[in-house]
Amino acid sequence: MTSVTQPVYLEEKLEDIRESGRLIYRSKALPTWCPGCGYYAIVEAMTDAMNRLGILSEDTVVVSGIGCASRFPFFVDTYGFHTLHGRVLPVATGVKVANEALNVIGVGGDGDGFAIGGGHIPHAARRNVDITYVLFDNGIYGLTKGQTSPTSVTGFETGTSPYQNQDNPLNPLLMLLSYGASWVGQAYAGNPHHLASMLEQAIAHRGFSYLHVLSPCVTFDKTSKTYRNLGMAIRDLPDQHDNRDLMAAMIEARHQETPALGLYYKEERPTLGDGLKTIVERSRNKE
Amino acid sequence: MNQQLPFSTDIQIAICGSAGDGTIATGDILKRAMARAGYNVIAFDLYPPEIRGFGKCIARTRITSEQVYALKPRSDVLISLNDAYAIPHVHEVDDFGAVIYDDTPIAAVQEGEHISGHLAPAHLPYAIPFREISERTTSGAKSRNMVAVGYLAGLYGIPREVFHDIIQSKFKTKPAALTESILTAFDAGFVEGVATFHLGFNVPSEAPQSDEKDDVIMMSGNDAVVRGCLDAGIKTFFGYPITPATSIMEKLAVEMPRQGNSMVQTEDEISAIAAAIGAGFTGTRSATATSGPGLALMTEMMGLATIAEVPVVVFVSQRGGPSTGMPTKTEQSDLNLAVYGATGDGQRIVLAPTNVEGCYWCAGKAFEMAERYQCPVIVLLDLYLSNRYEAVVLSRINPFDQDCNTGVPKHQTDKPYRRFEITDDWLSPRAIPGEKGLQHVITGLEHNEFGRPNDQADVHAQMSHKRHQKLHAALTHPDITICKRFGDTGQVQIGLLGWGSSFGEILEALFKAQGEGITCAAMKVVMLSPFPTSEVIAFMDDCDAVLVPELNYQGQFANLVGAMVGRSVHRFTRVIGTPLHVDDILVEVRRLCDDPTAPPTPVNPATTQEKLT
Ligand SMILES: Cc1ncc(C[n+]2csc(CCOP(=O)(O)OP(=O)(O)O)c2C)c(N)n1
Ligand code: SF4
Repeated sequence: MTSVTQPVYLEEKLEDIRESGRLIYRSKALPTWCPGCGYYAIVEAMTDAMNRLGILSEDTVVVSGIGCASRFPFFVDTYGFHTLHGRVLPVATGVKVANEALNVIGVGGDGDGFAIGGGHIPHAARRNVDITYVLFDNGIYGLTKGQTSPTSVTGFETGTSPYQNQDNPLNPLLMLLSYGASWVGQAYAGNPHHLASMLEQAIAHRGFSYLHVLSPCVTFDKTSKTYRNLGMAIRDLPDQHDNRDLMAAMIEARHQETPALGLYYKEERPTLGDGLKTIVERSRNKE
Repeated sequence: MNQQLPFSTDIQIAICGSAGDGTIATGDILKRAMARAGYNVIAFDLYPPEIRGFGKCIARTRITSEQVYALKPRSDVLISLNDAYAIPHVHEVDDFGAVIYDDTPIAAVQEGEHISGHLAPAHLPYAIPFREISERTTSGAKSRNMVAVGYLAGLYGIPREVFHDIIQSKFKTKPAALTESILTAFDAGFVEGVATFHLGFNVPSEAPQSDEKDDVIMMSGNDAVVRGCLDAGIKTFFGYPITPATSIMEKLAVEMPRQGNSMVQTEDEISAIAAAIGAGFTGTRSATATSGPGLALMTEMMGLATIAEVPVVVFVSQRGGPSTGMPTKTEQSDLNLAVYGATGDGQRIVLAPTNVEGCYWCAGKAFEMAERYQCPVIVLLDLYLSNRYEAVVLSRINPFDQDCNTGVPKHQTDKPYRRFEITDDWLSPRAIPGEKGLQHVITGLEHNEFGRPNDQADVHAQMSHKRHQKLHAALTHPDITICKRFGDTGQVQIGLLGWGSSFGEILEALFKAQGEGITCAAMKVVMLSPFPTSEVIAFMDDCDAVLVPELNYQGQFANLVGAMVGRSVHRFTRVIGTPLHVDDILVEVRRLCDDPTAPPTPVNPATTQEKLT
């Protein structure tokens, strides 16, 4: 974790940002999020990662679902598709199948991904669709003004759980690892530099990359996944963690109370696009 | 096929047996052979919902020299491969029609189980030892069905070569020994048939030559959809299996990779249409296919395609509903869902072909329209049309426009791009990912011309108007029949207004009514949304009474017509799970002719139900 040891001057920071060139990836629209929302950091980190990778705006499509998180495409200057609640991955899959040359990035919240859209994740993962899925996890439904989500902790009080949520939260990392995602990592909106580097790796990965981003909802969650609580709980993956070792990744993923940031698992294997090319060849040989 | 044959033939053959008897395969060989011999053929099979096992199958094939539009209510020949199943169908054999059956010794079966005891005096019995001939000439009883079809060919004196050709091509991937034994069984039956008293059936000495430019192909509605997709240049297809649409997906799975394109089986119908829309966003032609239950799941996505103005084509083959309903029975009851099933004012185009050739045209045109008008297009079939076979004539010149995009003119790229710009024809220039400087976001939220979310009243009103107005042009889209009038011209006593697969029965009823001296006209409406209101009003103006026959309980099309033209019509609705009966429509026509104010007959009166088993 980087801690601030020296004062930061706004002027200097802006100068840095301008010089970096990453502003070309920001759209002219100002984010509509609440001040202090973790999602700002994700946009900044995304432009940083795209800039470092040097990918072209016009060759990039950001697909989102519905939710605060899913407003994301409006704030980056790429092609974007703000779709329906829970349908990021099917739409993103269609985009990629139709045009392999595009960089396709899916974004959405925890409700979008793991509640209504939960049925799509295993299939995008097992097919190894060559897209990056960035899931913004604030453990709550932000856009609908604070209800329990599948990653809300047990005992959480919200508008729909006034007597406390009795359900266990899902463990997204463990799920993605068992679904067969070929790149699984975790980052934190409170650590934008690390987040940017994780995004950069996730986008560069050939295959289905899943980046879980812990991000506080400052407006509706005052008790659970706050900057303060998350800041104290998170840790880095152990130095000796072998990200080729699926079992080791799963063991690390089990520690949900003390989430570890970093790359859990990575493997190289044929993508959906590769499979479709094989099918084309086989069909021609069979003729 | 409109060739003039020098004689007139119209016979319908029903083959009835269990799934294990090869009933459907036998019907398939018969219809293909007869189409090859130059006849018009319409065929429709009924099969049980269970996959394996021994449910009842009936393959009905109508073979004619003249163009016809539907199966006849009664068959001229019934071949029984299983007496228990065939007995309830004996009554559908016409007077002086033939019943062909296996002459198992009567003593071997219980009283009443043998079909011979059920024939009417006017029926001609043909008892043939299918099983014995099959066992004698091949290694077992499995080829009984081939003996039977061979016998039929011999009986009618149809040249055996056409059958040989069809059998050989049907089994070309099977071991040669199998094909040989099937041919042997066929020939054994044929010899037997030739030796029997001949039935009066005119057979062309040689197959009429088809036009050089055209191909005559025996195909089902779903086959025609597939051909339409391929000819229209489909690039991606995403689907989830469901009867009766699955065969579209399965055939595309074979054909699309051969052209370097992709067919992906998704995890559900939501994913299927979502991916098709994602692919549509990239500027390629994409589609999905489903039935009512899948369309219900797709309605939210249809709305997204409407508001985000993304082309997508959805083939829907209806079956009996609601819910899982009757998966292997036909019905026209998803009109409401197709036309109205949407969040908000979900404007879309809905095409309902009325025959197999129409399936081809509507499929291809659907891609043109989706691209041109930047919207979802539903092509509405049903089980009867999906699975019905007709010999159709296809031009060898691909009739479909391969690019109907309204692209962004080059000189506009320096201005801020308005994806949803209001233009004179309400169609906005559409940029696709990869085009430099035209990056934009499309959304399911209401938005302004730039695509930015905006929920102000005037913006919503303007955009709703745009999405509605732009579709009107579809009513004059080139080279597609939107609606068409048949029968008598000028003022008529009865006007039959129909849609979809049941229009064939409507036409047959029309011709019969004309034969009885009733002046009668019919109009088919192919485009259900937007609706050809003025044409339908003009038609109705010419009719003393208008009857709308359709296969659903409520009269969904009658309701649509009523809402669009503001006049009431006479409904004729049935929910029998099978095609409408021509004679039932005719009875209603006569009734309406006598008393144009007669109240509608109840849905499925007992008399109709009795006829169906
Ligand atoms: C089909 C459907 N159901 C419900 C909603 C309402 N809805 C909008 S956003 C949302 C939840 C958002 O939560 P999450 O995905 O976690 O994203 P966040 O807002 O927290 O970023 C819900 C339930 C909807 N838009 N569509
Ligand atoms: S409601 Fe929560 S998640 Fe949504 S923008 Fe505000 S802080 Fe962020």
